[in-house]
Amino acid sequence: MIPRDRATPGETGEAAAESIQLDGEDKKHLSRREFIRWAGAFGLTLPILEAEALAEGLNGTYSFLVPVAVDNPLAHYPNRGWEKVYRDLYRTDRSFVFLCAPNDTHNCLLRAHVKNDVVTRIEPTYGYKSATDLYGNEASGRWDPRCCQKGLVLARRFYGDRRIKHPMVRKGWKAWADAGFPRDPATGAPPAEHFKRGEDTWVRVSWDEAYGYIARSLVDVGKTYSGAEGARRLAKQGYDPAMVEKVGGHGTQVMKLRGGMALLGATRIFGLYRFANMLALLDTRLQGIASDKAKGAVGWDSYSWHTDLPPGHPMVHGQQTVDFDLFSVEHAREILVWGMNWITTKMPDSHWLTEARMKGAKVKVITCEYSATASKGDEVLIIRPGTDPALALGFAHVILRDRLFDADFVANHTDLPLLVRMDTQELLSARDAFAGHKHAPLQNFVKVLGDDEKAPLPVARQGVQYITRKQREEWGDFVVFDAKSGKAAPVNRDEVGTHFASRQLQPALEGEFEIQLADGKRVKARPVFDLLKQYIVENFDPATVADITWAPAEAIEKIARDIAANREKTIFAMGMGPNQFFNNDLKDRAVFLVAALTRNVGFPGGTVGSYAGNYRTDLLNGMGQYVAEDPFNVELDPAKPAKVKKFDTKESAHYFNYGDRPLRQAKKLFTPAGHMPTPTKLMWLSNSNSIIANAKWHYDVVFNTLPKIECIAVADWWWTASCEYADIVFACDSWSELKMPDLTASCTNPFVQVFPRTPTRRTFETRGDAEILAGVAEKLASITGDKRFADYWRFILDNQVEVYLQRIINASSTLTGYKIEDLEAKAKQGIPALVNTRTYPRVGGWEQVIESKPFYNKTGRLEFYRGEPEFRESGENLPVYREPVDSTFYEPNVIVAKPHPAVKPLQPEAFGQARNDLSTEARQVRHVVRPWSEVRNTSHPLVAKGAGFKFIYHTPKYRHGAHSTPVDTDFMAALFGPFGDMYRRDKRMPHTGEGYVDINPADARELGIGDGDYIWVEADPEDRPFREWKGRPGQYKVGRLLARARYYPGTPRGVLRTWHNMYGSTIGSVKGAATRKDGLARNPDTGYQSMYRFGSHQSATRAWLKPTLMTDSLVHKGAMTQMIEAGFAADIHCPTGAPREAFVRIIKAEEGGYGGKGPWRPVKLGFRPANESPAMHRYVSGQFTRVVRSKG
Amino acid sequence: MPKVKNWQLGREMDYPFEESRPRRQFAMLFDTNKCIACQTCTVACKGTWTQGPGQEAMFWNNVESKPYGFYPLGWDVKILEKLGVVDQSGPVYAGKTLFEAAPEGKRVLGYLPEELDYAHPNIGEDDSAGVLAERALMSLPHMQWMFYLARICNHCTYPACLGSCPRNSIYKRPEDGIVLLDQSRCRGYQECVEGCPYKKVYFNPITRVSEKCIGCYPAVENGRQTQCTVACIGKIRLMGFINPPGKADADNPIDHIVHVAKLALPLYPQFGLEPNTYYIPPIHVPPAYLRQMFGPGVEAAAEAYRKVAEDKRTLGALMLFGASEEILHRFDVKGDVAFGYNEKGAEVARAPLTESMYVREYYDESRLAFRLNIT
Repeated sequence: MIPRDRATPGETGEAAAESIQLDGEDKKHLSRREFIRWAGAFGLTLPILEAEALAEGLNGTYSFLVPVAVDNPLAHYPNRGWEKVYRDLYRTDRSFVFLCAPNDTHNCLLRAHVKNDVVTRIEPTYGYKSATDLYGNEASGRWDPRCCQKGLVLARRFYGDRRIKHPMVRKGWKAWADAGFPRDPATGAPPAEHFKRGEDTWVRVSWDEAYGYIARSLVDVGKTYSGAEGARRLAKQGYDPAMVEKVGGHGTQVMKLRGGMALLGATRIFGLYRFANMLALLDTRLQGIASDKAKGAVGWDSYSWHTDLPPGHPMVHGQQTVDFDLFSVEHAREILVWGMNWITTKMPDSHWLTEARMKGAKVKVITCEYSATASKGDEVLIIRPGTDPALALGFAHVILRDRLFDADFVANHTDLPLLVRMDTQELLSARDAFAGHKHAPLQNFVKVLGDDEKAPLPVARQGVQYITRKQREEWGDFVVFDAKSGKAAPVNRDEVGTHFASRQLQPALEGEFEIQLADGKRVKARPVFDLLKQYIVENFDPATVADITWAPAEAIEKIARDIAANREKTIFAMGMGPNQFFNNDLKDRAVFLVAALTRNVGFPGGTVGSYAGNYRTDLLNGMGQYVAEDPFNVELDPAKPAKVKKFDTKESAHYFNYGDRPLRQAKKLFTPAGHMPTPTKLMWLSNSNSIIANAKWHYDVVFNTLPKIECIAVADWWWTASCEYADIVFACDSWSELKMPDLTASCTNPFVQVFPRTPTRRTFETRGDAEILAGVAEKLASITGDKRFADYWRFILDNQVEVYLQRIINASSTLTGYKIEDLEAKAKQGIPALVNTRTYPRVGGWEQVIESKPFYNKTGRLEFYRGEPEFRESGENLPVYREPVDSTFYEPNVIVAKPHPAVKPLQPEAFGQARNDLSTEARQVRHVVRPWSEVRNTSHPLVAKGAGFKFIYHTPKYRHGAHSTPVDTDFMAALFGPFGDMYRRDKRMPHTGEGYVDINPADARELGIGDGDYIWVEADPEDRPFREWKGRPGQYKVGRLLARARYYPGTPRGVLRTWHNMYGSTIGSVKGAATRKDGLARNPDTGYQSMYRFGSHQSATRAWLKPTLMTDSLVHKGAMTQMIEAGFAADIHCPTGAPREAFVRIIKAEEGGYGGKGPWRPVKLGFRPANESPAMHRYVSGQFTRVVRSKG
Repeated sequence: MPKVKNWQLGREMDYPFEESRPRRQFAMLFDTNKCIACQTCTVACKGTWTQGPGQEAMFWNNVESKPYGFYPLGWDVKILEKLGVVDQSGPVYAGKTLFEAAPEGKRVLGYLPEELDYAHPNIGEDDSAGVLAERALMSLPHMQWMFYLARICNHCTYPACLGSCPRNSIYKRPEDGIVLLDQSRCRGYQECVEGCPYKKVYFNPITRVSEKCIGCYPAVENGRQTQCTVACIGKIRLMGFINPPGKADADNPIDHIVHVAKLALPLYPQFGLEPNTYYIPPIHVPPAYLRQMFGPGVEAAAEAYRKVAEDKRTLGALMLFGASEEILHRFDVKGDVAFGYNEKGAEVARAPLTESMYVREYYDESRLAFRLNIT
């Protein structure tokens, strides 16, 4: 603590004495030397020469030091020469522009000011207003400034002590590599003594050595697991046979590469996937096979891995995500901000929301706490976490009950009129219904490809959807019941919007119809609308929904009416809150239902979007030119496009997260072939702290899964916990040091942005991400003697990355016409360019609705019925409501329904599981149906175990971090929440700030927990913090969460919140907290800085796999193509996990006062919620002002 | 003590020096309805001015969540408590100012925060007051509430720091009204720290002199708005110059918003400092609290804000927040676009009231590209 004793005039003591002397009336003049000493002592932190110049500059008399009479300092002050001090501080030598692009969907060009070759401060560029597209359209002054505190604080991070300064290899792994990778002859497993990750020390190596290490490991791992021998080894090591089979003998297929949110760097981050494609070269050499038989490595997903993908979106419209540029709210009258903390996670675009409100739009905030965004709402509805699908169904109830829906939109753009066969629960096909029915030749915005036909390339030339003849045959045509003629009528996929309206049918929405099929059989059929209506009417009346969700019945009525009254003008901005629950796909389906019923999909002011992650790689849809260039046929002519051929495969990292297992319960394997992962033996991660350090179930990954992995390489510029557990760490350039330009775009704004190369020197021995990939490839070329490895990266090795960037631009429908040189030149001035999508703002579904084009699915309509077997098995052919899988006070994951003819899921007994098995594993596939009247009397299985389990615990993101970037920077940490303290007066603090848990004061009091106390947080002891923690006390200590409790009146009782953004504890940080003199939770060897003493916010989460996200049948648009595909697609249709689900207990650990004594000081002084002093009470209620209204 | 005119109080009051208004008065507007507490302003300020030794916990600019956020701890509660309950029944302030309530031997009623009061710069972040009722749909004003208050030095017309400095080391610049603390003359007595009710003067324990917000005069001297304003992504701020109500210039966006539209109000006007930062009050907060903080005009201001969509000129002025780095001396609204002009009359800001919508051709024939929304 720094003493702040106070000097007062006339006091004794050095400062006072000096001041008296200077204050005297003797007009004492100081010598120049005295002045400089004095200036130094008083904080004029000038270089000596500058101070001398300043002194000289004042006529050499130093008269300004002379005490002078100041008559009225409001009017005149005589000695203003000192003002130069701040002008000097402000003045910099030069400035340059760089792009800040953490995974936050914004991407801001920032201006860095440089003094003495050091970036001293960062500012916005004010260049956004100058952005234009290829057609002369312009952005406006409404767009500036763009930046945030996380970007401005980078000046402290570029030179921070956790910069990765040079390549490093972990000592134990290095010894293993140096010994030639010896293995157990029986299993092929490496010796365990080389794998003390997290405890080991690190060895600095040269770049050449680092490249050599990973290149040799790629060869070694590939060789070990290739062919039949490789399969035998994997089987011996205990991997699921289905996973071993998936390897198919390709040793390259056990290598997992991941560019973290690859859109954030077209060549740098996507480069990992290019590298994965290239590894097919290695496969041919290891197995001695021809190129057409070869496979590259496996690329891991990003958007779905982060649980950012709203997985119900493709189920409704076939697209990854339909969304809108956030400034679309300019055109809305009703804005529902639903489970989205827009104000803290979309900060540079928050003004669009507050300005829309200023201009009269009504902002409704649906949230599970009184949040930053709630404070900007005209109406705020606080609901029980994870009940969002039920709330949406409640809105739908009111709309259906009172017939507030838009019948035209329902008829023209949804599947609600289509008939469902009650015998099979599939959509009735026209072929079955009508004798001699011939499928119509489709031509509305679609081309049916002949057997040898392919969609044209590049993708910029794809002006329609492409489906194969086989798909066309399989999907068939559909049937409605025409009320006008009293007969069934066929409908084909072309017939959407005006094309359907022009047929002048009156499709029945309600009723049961007996249809005579072409084969003579008579079946009952009901419109989707009718089935849904029955489910919704019977189960989700406002009173029941109020009971489920905590939303008052009147609010459900009112909001439903407001939505229905604002057709084309209600925007649904959905956030990652509800998306991180297990019922996330059901939430999307139910919300789209409300939007579709009310004519609010596809309009600039009336549509649905889901906001989490910067995922829209499809904005750079010419990316195939780079990631999928044929490594066997490399194009070295810079003027020509690349030849594209894919050899790599994709899988979801959720299986890795789940213990490197598929979902297999009792007698049933729930992960189908299309989704099946391979065993993970080598990982290479770039630009991503999420796959290890910030993974859900983090400690299970670290202590149970990583030990099975033989090589972990991480490329980053900041030492994260992912580095802590790696074997090889590559030191990358920060954004301020990029020596090659790169490209990115965003799902929330209309800009394509270039990372301009910067004029700054490299502060450390770092390299660009793409250079690293190229360097390793060169090394592989030299090891294998195959120069194609190096040629594959020729334009990076030759410092001509623009060739690759231009190829991507030329092929992208959004960018064709731009020149990378122009884009970079503008970026250097702080000016981005506009993406040339169809509209500005980009509104997903605009063409479908405004121009009557089909959506990207079987019917071309917004689909609310899913007749595929996987959905029927799960009881989710209708968008039902399921309780959360863990975050609930009731029976988890139960389907809430009264008996319904279309809700008939596979029961646990059918695959050998006990009906009453409510364990976390069994719950994932437990499809038990119960009405709410029963469910409300059940409880979470942990409640029965006593022991204090009673809290829903969720981990949203917050304003001070984009994921974990840059929360451990000293003054960011100090501003992150209420406990931050730059001086760390309480040495228990892990850093200048720390993670904390928000708790309702009444809940805390009941448990004797004070505001600011430290608490332990514990989830289901069966599997958290990690499986089999019993008997592993050292690891348990690292993994068990200790955090501050904060009294937060905004969270409802029973709901705890902690922020996702923090750096968690590692073996090294725990060691640091115990052994360092300063008590910092900082690894003494690596400098890794945790924001907790023990555990992390991920101590309470786990991996979850949901069957409906693992189908081989769901039809959807492919990535970066207009082709329509089915089944697994990374980031489109695959598991997403449920990281916001946890049911916990909390236990008081330590008092909140400094050093653990007594209450935290602000509590003692009465300035905290629920602990107010009388003055504070008076203040909060505004009683320091008396207003006496005059009578009459 | 001389009598000076304080228009915010509607009366004369005591002040240690004779009234002397600068040629131009630095002013800042904050729209609290738009503030998102991102702290970008805080970091912009800190990164520019206070990264040195002894400045670790010093934030010239801070943003605090009201009512539980304070920097330093409890600053306004403490001074309000000292001043006691005051009468704000009419347009003329009937209570005492801090100068008028000064104790014997002091020029201003104040208090010196303890060092630990500065410990947690973002305490109270998002903590809300009121009741979180289950099963309620909150409407305006919210039953449970908090809001964000961005704060800098108010560059007061009658600064308490200036009035309390025994060495007269604090002065007001005649050219722009910025209040500066002469780093070369200050001896660290901390009378200013005690005197400033807003606690916007900070003692540096290493250099042992006090420091304060300098209104970014090196930028302002060059026609540029302050660092905190230029970096404000909530677009809640407009920095410029204000005239007293009698001399209000309706073309000056700040005069327009404060004096004509009467949307923005000073922070704790009852203290008597005639502060020159003005706040558009948060429309979701109970009026009693707001009246205590912003004075008697607060209900009318909130009401006007809720109807501002009907007043195109005012809406235009509000849309110019953050539209330029330069200081706007004049503004205008033509059609549906607001324009801002610098001192020389050059257009430096342009903001449409509604951002345009563009529809591009489906097929760009010259570039052989289809421009789809779903790519």
